Amino acid sequence: MRIVSEKAQQEAAEKLVSSLNKIDGVESSVDIRTSGTQNRPIVNATVSPDNWRKVAENLKEKHSVDHCSMITGIHWPESEDKKWEVVYHFLRTGIKDPVIEDGLVIPNIVDFTKVKGKNVPLEIQISIKIGETRTPSVPSVQDLWVGADWNEKETWDLVGIDFEGHDGMRRVLNPHESPVGFHPLQKQHKLRYHGFEEMYDDAQGFMRKPVDSSRVK
Amino acid sequence: MAEMWISMGPQHPMTHGLWTLKVKVDGETVVDTEPDLGYIHRGVEKICESRDFTQITTYCDRLCYASANTWSHAYIYAAEDLLGVEVPERAEYIRLVAVEIQRIASHLMWLGAYGPDIGNLSVMVWCLREREMMMDLLQELGGSRMHYNFPRIGGVKRDLPHGFALRARHKLNLFLDRIQEYESLFDESTVFLIRSQGVGYAKPEEMINHGVSGPNIRAAGVNHDIRNSHPYSVYSELDWEPAVERSSIKGADCYDRYRIRVEEMRQSANLVLQALDKIPGGAETYHEPGDPKIIGKAPTRAPEGTSGSHHFEDSRGESMFYIAGGGDGRGKMPYRVSIRSPMFITIPYASKCMIGYKVADIPAIMGSFDPCIGETDR
Amino acid sequence: MADDAQNYSMFSSRLLVDTVGDVTDEALKASRLKDVIGVLAGRLFNWGQRKSLFPLHLGIKCCALEMAAAGASRFDAERFGVFFRSSPRQCDVLLVNGPISKKFADPIVRLWEQMPEPKWCIAMGECAISGGPYFQSYNILEGVDTIIPVDVYIPGCPPRPEALIDGFGKLREKIIRIGAMPSHSRLESEAPVIIGDA
Repeated sequence: MRIVSEKAQQEAAEKLVSSLNKIDGVESSVDIRTSGTQNRPIVNATVSPDNWRKVAENLKEKHSVDHCSMITGIHWPESEDKKWEVVYHFLRTGIKDPVIEDGLVIPNIVDFTKVKGKNVPLEIQISIKIGETRTPSVPSVQDLWVGADWNEKETWDLVGIDFEGHDGMRRVLNPHESPVGFHPLQKQHKLRYHGFEEMYDDAQGFMRKPVDSSRVK
Repeated sequence: MAEMWISMGPQHPMTHGLWTLKVKVDGETVVDTEPDLGYIHRGVEKICESRDFTQITTYCDRLCYASANTWSHAYIYAAEDLLGVEVPERAEYIRLVAVEIQRIASHLMWLGAYGPDIGNLSVMVWCLREREMMMDLLQELGGSRMHYNFPRIGGVKRDLPHGFALRARHKLNLFLDRIQEYESLFDESTVFLIRSQGVGYAKPEEMINHGVSGPNIRAAGVNHDIRNSHPYSVYSELDWEPAVERSSIKGADCYDRYRIRVEEMRQSANLVLQALDKIPGGAETYHEPGDPKIIGKAPTRAPEGTSGSHHFEDSRGESMFYIAGGGDGRGKMPYRVSIRSPMFITIPYASKCMIGYKVADIPAIMGSFDPCIGETDR
Repeated sequence: MADDAQNYSMFSSRLLVDTVGDVTDEALKASRLKDVIGVLAGRLFNWGQRKSLFPLHLGIKCCALEMAAAGASRFDAERFGVFFRSSPRQCDVLLVNGPISKKFADPIVRLWEQMPEPKWCIAMGECAISGGPYFQSYNILEGVDTIIPVDVYIPGCPPRPEALIDGFGKLREKIIRIGAMPSHSRLESEAPVIIGDA
């Protein structure tokens, strides 16, 4: 069973780290993740919101990072150095369309023990720290990776971090009629308000039909 | 001809779950689609912020209920990364057995639901019959028919029961014979071939940019698998290759996506048979729960500032957990659990794939991407 | 009027039809045959309704897979007359098998209202009974009985398919007791049945 070797991933990670560190305001390093049977070197970078767009374009064009896996938004009301954080998780998969010969498609079977350079699969984690603000906002990368589209919608819906330049921002998981400013994963929201009156209070966004207002649970 | 929006609403027999697909049709041709999710949004990410690390495993089972073991294992690997835990090798083999049998059961559920979409109702009862066989095996391992809560941080809950290897080998060999029955039912049926070939083309580079992964990419002729590009568990010790389908020039169609899942079922069965042969200590020895051979020592606190993540090959694609430690002051609970669901990203892509085809192709295309709404809505 | 008379090949006037009907009704009432027919017909309809419960093809969450397994070949539910229908207009039973979120509260009440009388509701699984493991969540109702009157509760997470088939059996027994009354005028003393409660 041919899996990618740790050495190849370590070298690829170091190369990417040294290239990213040349950009102003980016600090990156190689982290080792220890779950699984072999250690996985990943690239961990901290970027400021101002040069995030430049770094993203650099990653896509020069380092062929092709897969935006997930976007996590975190609210840190009590931390000192950051109040909001957006963590992007990318993968470089090295996927290319299969070759067509004589009208027949030849499947693209990659031997992972022999990959080099930009084909080495790598995991990249970018974290953007935002200071104290009521309207945190980060430039959107929807046009570079389409996979970021719905992830950004979900992050805004649940955490409240806005993405500038995102086309078609809307609620995806919460109901469409949720009140403006209702972002449940922020830390000031309690998990649930108990009590019958609070359960039907509109601040939680529970819209009931008027005819059911006298119905008792 | 006037165009109109039709809502394939939350209650629909073909949508494999509770979501709405709004379709704009011009006569019989689909012109635009818009998916609407969130009908079973349970706020699992917020609930997990007030639960211990061990208690979260029960929530992760219920994320995608058709393949519960893969999700709880994905969470456990991420939690082990956060807490820095060493897992014994025998436990990794047992986890592999559980995950692969669960993958077979999940693909069987998919096949049993895909047949009726196309119109083939008898395959539903056939597949559910085999799924009962797999669920019996998983019941022996985990204790219940669904939602086993099987892995623990550092290992597994229980060792392989007495006689499990014998029963598993017998059932899997029987299953490998029965797969040929399904293939004959589909591949020799002209209606199925007409309805699924040439429908719903998707190319790999476009798919990976959209975030689709897993069997949907392998159906398009590329052998991308998280198990060999970001390896975890003992897949490297066993002799297997990811299943890849040769697609047509325009990309993978629904027929390729069906074929790849049948191949994956075969491979998972072979993986389990190999793992039962190679397990250290033999498949017949039994260790009591808590024995260091099946579960390692694990700390229970993760201080603030630490984080753990893990990519996992789920039966529908690439799932991922990102856990930020430092919960309630002392670190017994996570500060933020973030769950990446492959279907959350694939459903908008599949909705785009449908544009240009007829209304009757909608269940075929949507079903071939294998949606499971539990993980989408978290 | 003359055209209508041409269409009625057997009956020459509406007045004749009405008169015959009234006279027959009075005769049946006087001889008490009407009560007998009423009781027999009621029992026949009750037997027909409880032996062929048509649940709605609604799969919300995990219990839906156990519902599918209950309909499959190992725990065959169709031998009990249970046959899943896709349209709520053709169903008797609403089988709620998952948590109800705020977004789905409105559609499920609409589904319930679209079902014609007589209709019953079975709450399957912990999430439908009380919110289940998600009862503390900001988005989940604490049980489907906040919005729909429930007749049978089936606990379990998920309940085994045998428990679901037992649930249908207890619903049949309940239908014998309450008959086919519309759901908003059921007796208050008729408490909902909980499976496993002896």
